[in-house]
Amino acid sequence: MAKITIIKSDIVYDCVSDTITRAATRAGLGFPYECNVGECGNCRFELIEGEVSYLRQNPPAITERDAERKRYLGCQAMPHGDCTIKVPLRDHYKSKHLPKKTHGVLTEVIDITHDIREFRFQLSEPVKFLAGQYGLISAPGVEGARAYSMSNTGEAGEQWHFQIRRVPNGRATGSLFDGMKIGESLDLDGPYGMAYLREDAPRDILCLGGGSGLSPMVSISRAAAHSAALAGQNIYFVYGGRTPRDICGEEFLRELPGFGERIHYTPVISMVDDPASAGWTGKTGFVHDVAEAMFGDKLANFEVYFAGPPLMAQSVTKMLIKAKVPGSQMHFDQFY
Amino acid sequence: MSKIELCKTADVDEGAAIKVETGDLSLAVFNLNGAFYVLDDMCSHGPGSLSEGPIHGDVIECDFHNGSFNIKTGEVVDPPCMIPQKTYKVIVEDDTVFIEE
Repeated sequence: MAKITIIKSDIVYDCVSDTITRAATRAGLGFPYECNVGECGNCRFELIEGEVSYLRQNPPAITERDAERKRYLGCQAMPHGDCTIKVPLRDHYKSKHLPKKTHGVLTEVIDITHDIREFRFQLSEPVKFLAGQYGLISAPGVEGARAYSMSNTGEAGEQWHFQIRRVPNGRATGSLFDGMKIGESLDLDGPYGMAYLREDAPRDILCLGGGSGLSPMVSISRAAAHSAALAGQNIYFVYGGRTPRDICGEEFLRELPGFGERIHYTPVISMVDDPASAGWTGKTGFVHDVAEAMFGDKLANFEVYFAGPPLMAQSVTKMLIKAKVPGSQMHFDQFY
Repeated sequence: MSKIELCKTADVDEGAAIKVETGDLSLAVFNLNGAFYVLDDMCSHGPGSLSEGPIHGDVIECDFHNGSFNIKTGEVVDPPCMIPQKTYKVIVEDDTVFIEE
């Protein structure tokens, strides 16, 4: 076990077979992070004393300047003995439900589209989570964990469901889609992430999703539909795909109380000229354009949640800034 | 409107920045050719500290993700930052730097 001391504070925490950031989050500290897999760079800290090595070799977010300044990525850095570090803690990064390492047994698999599948895991011990948060899955035979958002709600925490899009030639999703059998188990760690449902924000809710962004948007809609604090608020769910075969999500919203009254679903396809799109009568274009056309000046009155491919997330962010939506009302995982 | 004292002019070298924490605020104080500018220290994009980044002319680069802002206006110069950085009205009296909040 290593003791990690944060300078300019009185904080010392234990790190047992863990990374510097994850151990801090487990200890209830607000250590900055976002992606947890070495991609985003938000968990940088300065190593003042001690020695660390990386879980994932050469994580993409690290630069030459980081090496010169003895800065490391906390989500990937494992301490060798006690360390003293410099990092600014912030309450924003504290986790309401402290993340835990558990095992999940695969109990059910449901096909949603041609490339999105729901995987349901029963946890070895219940771990609660907030709607919109993610877990780290270690897929069998694949080095390094991957982050996937849960699609169910986590007030009991006995089951974690993930709606996962298969990545072409992806090793982790390949292992999950082709290798995992009912009854088999894998390592889970979580919950993580700050893009969770704000029940204390008394505004209408806009969920914008595409591709793998389905899962957290479904979780947020489910939790919002059942939240007493949000009972008066509308929920708008806009989901984009390339052609109609990518479109999904409505089936989960239909099960919720208030569907068609205060819960509204709008699918959008972008590849209108593709033969697979023949006969489509719904909205066309990109999710951010459709949301802008639907709500215009009223966007600043919404609490906005979004998840999807990087280009979509960037386009949505730009559109929301242009529409003067305050940053505090935008919620998404900054995975890059 | 209240005036908040941040530092002495001599605390910040020309072409450099320091971080000042006061109350709930965490600020980056810049000295560009003897003129003082104050921005929120935490980058609008992530947890990077602007006072620790390299300065190129009027532009501060956040060394977390290499996005950048105009120091005088807070406007975004380079992505991935997209939200303008908050700026403060600066008053220098004798050898002391204040902001008006």
